[in-house]
Amino acid sequence: MDLLKSIAVATSGLRSQSGRMRVIAENVANADSGPERAGADPYRRKIPTFQRRFDRELEAQVVDMGRVQRDQSAFRVKYEPGNPAADAAGNVRMPNVNSLIETMDMREAQRSYEANLNLISSTRRMIQRTIDILRA
Amino acid sequence: MANSALGTGGNLMQALKTRMHFHQSRQKVLAENVANADSPGFRPMDVKAPVISAGGAGGVSGVSLARTSAGHMGIGGRSDGFDSARARRFETTPSGNAVNLEDEMMKVAQNQSDYQLAASLYSKGLGLMKIAIGKGR
Repeated sequence: MDLLKSIAVATSGLRSQSGRMRVIAENVANADSGPERAGADPYRRKIPTFQRRFDRELEAQVVDMGRVQRDQSAFRVKYEPGNPAADAAGNVRMPNVNSLIETMDMREAQRSYEANLNLISSTRRMIQRTIDILRA
Repeated sequence: MANSALGTGGNLMQALKTRMHFHQSRQKVLAENVANADSPGFRPMDVKAPVISAGGAGGVSGVSLARTSAGHMGIGGRSDGFDSARARRFETTPSGNAVNLEDEMMKVAQNQSDYQLAASLYSKGLGLMKIAIGKGR
């Protein structure tokens, strides 16, 4: 039945958007995770990726979480001579997480998640109407 | 009989069935669009509306091999028989994704209410048949 297939496709969207949300939460939580000792790297921001896949059973293109990539941009540098992880000049490298970018990314994930939820409830109403034909 | 509007083979019920089938297929295509709203390079699809002929049949007329014996298996194109045409688009993100979420939500709402209309008409048709049988009171 096509309507159940639409629910399955929307579910793949929900799954990948919540996976994206998990990666964003990881980034926000680690926004201040500096290096453990001098010379070590601090937390490097993670980037969630999506990939399309044609599902033969559903006969539709579903979406999956791809590999989580690492952001290769430069780290923030903070001057803090008292920090045990500071280098000779007193600088500490901090994670390359920008909380503004993370917030915007979170909003987008939230919006897409809601769109998929909306589609599922719409499809469920259509199924309900089909069952109502029997009752009439 | 000239007027065969009702009855399971009649043109009203047949047309409503085609219509409901179309809305189911469209819902699936719209679900694909929404699920892939953030996939790079994805272009949204839509389904062409079926053309209902005066005879009630329509839409489900894909090209397929003729069956000369009842034992032959059908080899057709898409199982649902509707073409999914590329939807018109005007907004493409730098990643090549052209899904407009508001547009898709509007189409989903429209699809749902059209489906409800067809389903209500179908049950009305069944009610009329019951009246004709004499059990519809």
